[in-house]
Amino acid sequence: MNEIKYITSEQGEFYKNTGGFLGLKIGEKGYPRVSLVRSFPYTHLHNFISIRDKENNEIGIIEDILTFPENIIELFNEELNRRYFLPIIKNIYSVKEEYGYSYWNVLTDLGNKKFTIRRDNYSFINVKDNRVMVIDVDGNRYEISDYEELDSKSYRLIELML
Amino acid sequence: MSNIIMDEVINNLPENIYQILKLNKIEKKDLLIAAKGDLDSDGNYGASWVLATATDMIVATEKSLIYHIEDIEDLSNEKVIAGGLLVATIAGLDSILCSFSNTCARDFGFFVKLFKKLKEGKELSPEDFEDNEMPMFCPKCRTRYDDPARKICPKCFDKRAIFLRVMSYLPKYKIELFFMLLCMFASSILNIAIPYIGGNILFDKVLKAGGEYYGEIVFFIMLMFVIKLVATAVSIIYGRINSSLTARVIFDLKTEIFGALQRLSLSFYNNNQTGTLMNNVNGDAMHLQYFFHDGAPYFIVNFITMVGIFVVMITMNWKLALITILPIPIIIYILKGFFPKLLVMFNRMFRRGGNLNSIINDSLNGSRVVKAFGKEASEVSRFSKTNDGVYQINMDLGQMVQTAFPLLYLMMGFSGLIVWGYGSWLVVNGEMTFGSLITFTGYGAMLIGPLQFMTQITQWWSDCMNSASRIFEIMDTVPEVEEKSDAIRIPSIKGNVEIKDVSFGYEPNNPVLHNLNFKVNSGEMIGIVGHSGAGKSTLTNIITRLYDVKEGAINIDGINIKDLSLKDLHSQIGMVLQETFLFIGTVAENIAYAKPEATMKEIIEAAKVANAHDFILELPEGYDTIIGSRGKNFSGGEKQRISIARAVLLNPNILILDEATASLDTETEKLIQEALEKLIKGRTTFAIAHRLSTLRNADRLVVIEKGKIEELGTHEELIRSKGTYYKLLQKQKEALKLQGVS
Repeated sequence: MNEIKYITSEQGEFYKNTGGFLGLKIGEKGYPRVSLVRSFPYTHLHNFISIRDKENNEIGIIEDILTFPENIIELFNEELNRRYFLPIIKNIYSVKEEYGYSYWNVLTDLGNKKFTIRRDNYSFINVKDNRVMVIDVDGNRYEISDYEELDSKSYRLIELML
Repeated sequence: MSNIIMDEVINNLPENIYQILKLNKIEKKDLLIAAKGDLDSDGNYGASWVLATATDMIVATEKSLIYHIEDIEDLSNEKVIAGGLLVATIAGLDSILCSFSNTCARDFGFFVKLFKKLKEGKELSPEDFEDNEMPMFCPKCRTRYDDPARKICPKCFDKRAIFLRVMSYLPKYKIELFFMLLCMFASSILNIAIPYIGGNILFDKVLKAGGEYYGEIVFFIMLMFVIKLVATAVSIIYGRINSSLTARVIFDLKTEIFGALQRLSLSFYNNNQTGTLMNNVNGDAMHLQYFFHDGAPYFIVNFITMVGIFVVMITMNWKLALITILPIPIIIYILKGFFPKLLVMFNRMFRRGGNLNSIINDSLNGSRVVKAFGKEASEVSRFSKTNDGVYQINMDLGQMVQTAFPLLYLMMGFSGLIVWGYGSWLVVNGEMTFGSLITFTGYGAMLIGPLQFMTQITQWWSDCMNSASRIFEIMDTVPEVEEKSDAIRIPSIKGNVEIKDVSFGYEPNNPVLHNLNFKVNSGEMIGIVGHSGAGKSTLTNIITRLYDVKEGAINIDGINIKDLSLKDLHSQIGMVLQETFLFIGTVAENIAYAKPEATMKEIIEAAKVANAHDFILELPEGYDTIIGSRGKNFSGGEKQRISIARAVLLNPNILILDEATASLDTETEKLIQEALEKLIKGRTTFAIAHRLSTLRNADRLVVIEKGKIEELGTHEELIRSKGTYYKLLQKQKEALKLQGVS
């Protein structure tokens, strides 16, 4: 009962339904709408992805989504990106500190963005090594994948927070 | 329509959307509700719009789609990790209409709520639009707040008003203030006088042949002595007044803050954002303390001193005055660049030191686990890794300080040399006396400190005003659960409870309970059953009015609890929770927490009912045993019985048991079960339990699933209907059987 039920590319047939959601067929059984949940959202983006039905019950786990055909991986990524919406900060134009908040203007991989974070211990988290999560006042997350890779101007702007 | 956010969306639609609307014969005035998303259909930052008239809904991303509202079976706002999806169910199929980040989640939630009204064919009233309107905007400049939890508008943040409010704590202490200011003034004058006496007077008038006081060394020494004496006296008086004044102002402020914290509703504490606000409250009070104790007085003293020195120097010799002042901006510039770096390194050192301490703590507290798993070596390596970081920062900091400070002193010495050089030249040429030169060098050194202080004052001032604004924010928060001015007093509740059409959620647009309806008679025991997270504890939270319901009503003895006096309500509802909380104090005080006037007899009686009397008497200090941080630590079962005694003593007419017997061993559970049975008698009781056997005495059971009532009836009725309760019961029986076998 507690064993992990793995879904492989041979057993599971994934497709995108007309509503834009991911559907799954395993043998006779069909799930018109499934969602993908990462077990290790920070460390293993492709491994141990839990497949859940509309009622959030686990159907099974995909050990590595990269073992699926290219077009299915694309579907998976689309679904995962929608769920784990996480823009990556590429360049920091300005960080202005005022009134207990800091106002950011950045370039992310999804476009330009201005946001506000609180100046507290929960809004700028050094996850591991050089990786930083920035959480704004609305609860949106942004990632700085490696702060040492930032250009020197961007780095200087956040240096005092590190 | 009367909602700023929606009005803004509708009035700023891109031209192509207006065109599409026109083609479909929809006019701007037909649009009733609207929301704008911040992502395009590929998930990049962009824009999307959803609009609705009374009959149609328009979704505009890169392409626009129009739906008839009657075709949409359901519209929902589905939360993902950092945003949401607008999902419509059409002909049984769920479709994603658009996605958005958390920034827009509130607007979409509001859209969905109003859409549902439209779908029911109801007309939207102005009240429907009120929900999230005003508080989200700055009332002055209409800018949307960056942070919905803190209503601070960066444009209108009025530091002056906050400063005046901080200062309003002072007038109570007028006399002290007057003397303090007097002392500050005196201290500044003396500060300026000392170099003058040590320079001009000593060298030019006492030591110089022909000087006014030539040779009167004893007089001069006496003068110096008296000045030092006065200066010391002034600084002692000033320091004493300052310390007592600051302590009193901060005492007043902290008392007021703590009072405000107690007044606030539970929702304020549970809200993540405001929770952070409270964590900082002590730190904020400290900031204000610095302001009163160090900041403001130093500012005044430094200001007077600086102005005084400038005036004296310019009157003595304006050329040398300029030369003395010139290098100071350079030194300050260097200091300004250097100090923040130093500060960052110090912070890093403290943080790493803190981490090291937590690892030591962690490892020592968990020593049983460490040893049992034989992980001593890995603990050492975990420690070494962090310790290495501490070593590194200590070394860097030490090296930086040891290099930077000598260089800085060299720089200062060099600028001193220029003054000496030019001054000496003036002395040799007879344009200035030697004494004046000594006075000048003294003043030059005295200027650096105050000037540096002045450069930091802006940062320091804004930190201080931030702290003050956060403190005032807590003080000004209006509690969500508030007693009406004409609240109904009800000294003795009978215990008839009616839950009527109640829906409730802790966050807007995220309901936990849906449309609950049931009646409980006085003295009846209701067992509340359901999976974790089904909403059982939430139900008890709203019955006790720790939170206010927004939809529906809860009536006790036929009166809406919102109309009841809070004191009467809370003094007649007893709670026994899974996580017991004992306060610092004696066992007796803890039992009497809700009824401090209880007699010793009452306390012992209550403890006896709670099966706590015997174990309390086994303690050497009996009922006088101190509980708390340094006091006796009780086991889970013992704490639970003390908290039951607390409820017994309160003698409530309504009782709430929230997993009161969970996580206890069988023997203790029996004792507590017994105690509870005595307690329940004659009271309206709501009991939550995972272990269904503990609810065997319940008159009726309510099964809650996903916030809805799934079943309601007596044990027998529910068994007969073979629904969720029956299944749960079967599962638990099987589990018990398995335990029996093993």
